[in-house]
Amino acid sequence: MSIDDNASIDDDASIVDDARSGSGQRGRGLRVEGLEVAYGGVPAVRGIDLEVKAGEAVGLIGPNGAGKSSTLLGIMGAVARSGRVLVKGEDLAGFPPEKVVRRGVALVPEGRHVFAELSVADNLRLGAVARRDRTGYSEAMEHVLTLFPMLRDFGHRQAGLLSGGQQQQLAIGRALMSDPDILLLDEPSLGLSPTAVDTVFEALDVIRAAGKAVLVVEQRAEFTIAFCDRTFVLHDGEITLTLSPEDAEKVDVLTKAYFG
Amino acid sequence: MTGQLIQSLVDALSAGATLGLAALSIGLVFGVIRLANFAQAEIITASAYCLIFTWQLGWFIAVPLSMLVAVAMSLLMEFAVFSRMRSANPATLLIASFGLSFLLQRVYELMFSNNVRTAPVASGLAQTVEFAGVRIQLLSVATITIAGLLLLGLHLFLSRTSMGLQLKAAAADFRTARLVGIPAGRVIALSFALSGILAAAVAFVLTVQSGAVGPTFGVQITILALVGAVIGGIDKISGSLAGGFLVGFVTSLLATWLPQEMSNFKDAYVFVLVIGVLLFRPSGLLIKGRGVART
Ligand SMILES: Nc1ncnc2c1ncn2[C@@H]1O[C@H](COP(=O)(O)OP(=O)(O)OP(=O)(O)O)[C@@H](O)[C@H]1O
Ligand SMILES: [Mg+2]
Repeated sequence: MSIDDNASIDDDASIVDDARSGSGQRGRGLRVEGLEVAYGGVPAVRGIDLEVKAGEAVGLIGPNGAGKSSTLLGIMGAVARSGRVLVKGEDLAGFPPEKVVRRGVALVPEGRHVFAELSVADNLRLGAVARRDRTGYSEAMEHVLTLFPMLRDFGHRQAGLLSGGQQQQLAIGRALMSDPDILLLDEPSLGLSPTAVDTVFEALDVIRAAGKAVLVVEQRAEFTIAFCDRTFVLHDGEITLTLSPEDAEKVDVLTKAYFG
Repeated sequence: MTGQLIQSLVDALSAGATLGLAALSIGLVFGVIRLANFAQAEIITASAYCLIFTWQLGWFIAVPLSMLVAVAMSLLMEFAVFSRMRSANPATLLIASFGLSFLLQRVYELMFSNNVRTAPVASGLAQTVEFAGVRIQLLSVATITIAGLLLLGLHLFLSRTSMGLQLKAAAADFRTARLVGIPAGRVIALSFALSGILAAAVAFVLTVQSGAVGPTFGVQITILALVGAVIGGIDKISGSLAGGFLVGFVTSLLATWLPQEMSNFKDAYVFVLVIGVLLFRPSGLLIKGRGVART
């Protein structure tokens, strides 16, 4: 566990350099430097640095209004932001969302936001609009349907008629259809039953093992800290703590994370 | 009596179809960028002028050309005006479209004068045919047919093609559509282009009906179409279509069946209806549940 200044990632070998030297795995991660987001002049994210490597899951927790969603939306280019968002050595700052997706970053938004009136199959199809290749479509579809078998049975059903847990699976599946290297998730456990949460996080484990970089925003601190390789605590738009899985048991740390 | 009833029903269907198309052309764009484009009126007018001026060259030139004019104007409005105001709220956009509308009316006045221009556009359709004792206007049948074909085509496009699906998704939830990777500029342009095609169809029907076009030709139907779209629920493509149809259908029946001194005020009844709807069903008659603000 490290506090404040140690939250920086300077001591790690630069992912950017990796990408320049053309190496595989690590070059496909995400690196964020000095990310700032403000709404009408009011800052919500005040200079965040973080890195998520390929095959790694990183958590982002913090109280309501801490700026978790704003961080993810800032990375996606869905809100005005400054700072650097580096993927494969390319700075995505200034890109609109549709272009960020084409660089291999996909978001599962807070509240799922499936296209309620469209069928499950059409939702998945739309997820593939930003695919960088034209050949991998059926493979990606097969992969998603293997990960979430439920979606296979409900292909023709209106997405809005699915349960919350099923919609979350669809939202993740839709994001995976673009074949992202980096998957961002905003509170995937929100409003789900314990079994539904298990389904979602088992899938995230598979996704991480497949070599994708996973950045997950969550409210359930203890659970997230245990699941993720590293977890950042966000407070008032700044990272105030970095936690490792061993910290999951320490209640005092959690308390500090939320109220400190 | 039944003959008259059928006749008035066919006329009402045709009026509903025309207004349904006009409302749909507005709703299609509104769904994507929250713009209730009042200047849709001037797209209709431009397309109608084109029909009048080119009709003597033959319908096979005039009709495609009028469609081209409508699509080009619609796209031009998007690129020259509305694409520059993406972050503006719906009220600002509406007012901007008012401004654009008045500006274009003055331009038409300068170019073509205040007097109406006339041409016998598809005058063959102005005839009535007698069919089993029922007198029916050919134009009404043609209007219903045109609307049916356009709606079928639009439906197939939206449900069967990738671009159509992307447009549907963008109309339902624009922000999420972009996050999924749907290119914003492209779907917006597509919605304007489709809206232009619908406007051209409306222009054709109205021009055949009146044979005369002036600078404010498209204004009245556009006001009624906006009203229809709001009544039906402008938020949804199907809502605007159904609302527009309803307004056209009802006003046409009122005009036929109300005594003369009352039917003169048929448009006023429509506005009473709108006020009622806005008071009791603010998100539209045909939309389930309460209206939800788009975040
Ligand atoms: N669209 C917006 N306009 C203005 N202010 C906003 C907007 N979105 C978020 N904010 C503000 O920015 C701050 C951070 O919000 P954000 O949604 O990022 O927090 P969060 O950590 O995701 O919270 P939660 O746990 O409730 O989802 C809050 O103070 C919020 O009020
Ligand atoms: Mg949030």
